[in-house]
Amino acid sequence: MAQPAFASPAAAVSSVVTEPSGATIPLSRLAPEAALRRLELTIVRRLEGFLQGDHLGLLPGPGSDSSDARVYNPGQDDVRRMDWAVTARTTIPHVRDTVADRELEVWALLDATPSMNWGTGGVTKRDLGIAAIATVGFLSQQMGDRFGGLIMRPAGLRRLPARSGRTALYGLLRSMLAEPIVPDGTKGPMDLPQGVAQMARSQRRRGLRVVVSDFLTPGDAELDPAHAPAWERSLRRLAVRNQVICVETVDRHEIDFPDVGEILIRDPESDFERYVNTSDEAARLRMNAASAAQRERIRIAIRRSGCGHIQLRTDRDWVQDIARFVLAYRRVAGRLHAPPRGVSR
Amino acid sequence: MTFLDFAWPSFLAPGRLWLLAVPPLLLAAYIFLARRKSKQGMRYTNTGVLQAVVPPQSQWLRHVTVGLALVSLVALALAWARPFGTDKVPRERATIVIVLDVSYSMEAVDVAPSRLAAAKQAAVDFVNQLPASYNVALVSMSGSSSGRVPPVTDHNIIVRAIEALETQPSTDVGQALEQAMAELDQAPAGEDGDPPPGLVVMLSDAAGTTNPDKSPRQAAKEMGDRGVPIYALVFGTDNGYVDIDDVRYPVPPDFSFFSDLAALTGGQAYAADDASRLADACQKVGSEIGYVEVDKEVTATAAGLGLAFAFVAAVGAVMMGARWR
Repeated sequence: MAQPAFASPAAAVSSVVTEPSGATIPLSRLAPEAALRRLELTIVRRLEGFLQGDHLGLLPGPGSDSSDARVYNPGQDDVRRMDWAVTARTTIPHVRDTVADRELEVWALLDATPSMNWGTGGVTKRDLGIAAIATVGFLSQQMGDRFGGLIMRPAGLRRLPARSGRTALYGLLRSMLAEPIVPDGTKGPMDLPQGVAQMARSQRRRGLRVVVSDFLTPGDAELDPAHAPAWERSLRRLAVRNQVICVETVDRHEIDFPDVGEILIRDPESDFERYVNTSDEAARLRMNAASAAQRERIRIAIRRSGCGHIQLRTDRDWVQDIARFVLAYRRVAGRLHAPPRGVSR
Repeated sequence: MTFLDFAWPSFLAPGRLWLLAVPPLLLAAYIFLARRKSKQGMRYTNTGVLQAVVPPQSQWLRHVTVGLALVSLVALALAWARPFGTDKVPRERATIVIVLDVSYSMEAVDVAPSRLAAAKQAAVDFVNQLPASYNVALVSMSGSSSGRVPPVTDHNIIVRAIEALETQPSTDVGQALEQAMAELDQAPAGEDGDPPPGLVVMLSDAAGTTNPDKSPRQAAKEMGDRGVPIYALVFGTDNGYVDIDDVRYPVPPDFSFFSDLAALTGGQAYAADDASRLADACQKVGSEIGYVEVDKEVTATAAGLGLAFAFVAAVGAVMMGARWR
């Protein structure tokens, strides 16, 4: 599909030279709400919550799914729930028990570190991530489902509380877009491993977690997939109790190194500063091969952590990419999010 | 000349040296601009892999070019101030007294064919390489030294006189030097009325075997006062001997004595233990006395140096400016 039309394509391109001044995409263009109404994100993990919802819960309660049969307790159980087949076999009265249907709680972690403020395809990676959060949000708008956000800045996490309803979702997206751009070279204690760990710590209730990042560790040149990235451990812990989907935002020129002559290249996050001859064909090919290996390593690490993986590119239509993911996800989610041994679904 | 001996040249126009303040300022500006952090460049996210995969663009060409340009500026600024320096120019005229040892010790055959024959050959070669305008005199050194030829410009006379020399008993260096000074006095004055500068070239093997009338050191000191340097060629080997009246005398060369003498007069002593070394030493003396150091303006040298640096800097700038692909 062709590249989506943006309000001002030049807004993001200037991020190559200097940090953007604000969001590069308006709220109204984040996701086509109406078109997404017929899609549904498969939830395979069991949930726990307060309310009656549309998803399978973890504990017994009033619901639609039969769980077990137990001995009838006169005066406490409803005779309409009598399990006659079991009663006949055992000659002891039994009732059917059901598992409660619960609401879904979604938490999205948005990486807002300076390396996300970059993009050549008309939108920065950060805004592409917000658009992905919007799309996932509209996909999980069942009755009573709550959606919360965490914005990861180098100084710390900013928490946008989880609320239900599309108005609340729009409010969340608006405050994500309005979040001030982190200036280049900002140092702070927070990075992706810590942010994911803190999300796992602070949101105890089971649910869906969306991690939006470029999954790049500043200064990391490791390409071997057998060598786990820094964030893999905390992602793995997050996936023990939650259904986790990782949204990896990539720019075209991170995969295809640009040819712009001899130029000073700066890193938005680290102190890296170096003159590089980008016209060197051999060096460019090496760089592209290394980038491909790096992306492969990220893919393998995410898969190894038991998380869903969506790769979005700033020069492609993310709605289509996510829709394609959701359709394929229906078949594989059950196996993909199988919990580790000793943890209930 | 060691580095410590290096003296700054004097300048004809020292007021123009203020220009030397400019290159350090430019250098400081260059360092400041290179160290400045807030440079415009391309932001790029994946620099961890980039720095591992793409080699750093080496900066030495840039630094060398800037450095050479600044050095050429320094050299050109010095040239503009018209520096004075020493320069070697061929000596126009001189009086050279050849003092040739003809004592019995020169009959030793440790230098083939014999010390005297080798000394004669070296002296003849030396005279032949001198410019025709030089006055040359010959003194034979023995127990009774005598001036054989007064200063003449016809070198053939000297050559014939050298070839006719015969050995005589004993050696008296002091008397020979006195004789050499007497020869120098006979040198004809030049067009400006001054006698040409004198030089003494001694070919000898050892100091005296008899008590000299006059101390050689005293004579050398007088020569030094007159500004006449002694160039001594000391030759022979430690195994040298002569048989006189069936008695064998060892005649080792005495280099330290002659080098002392030469040092007193501002000259130089050379040691040689065979004929070819002796010829080499003669060559050295010839080139030493053939030139004289004079002070003159060396603007062209400084400007040429500046031009060479500027040329290399220009090559560097062209290499940096060109896109090779």
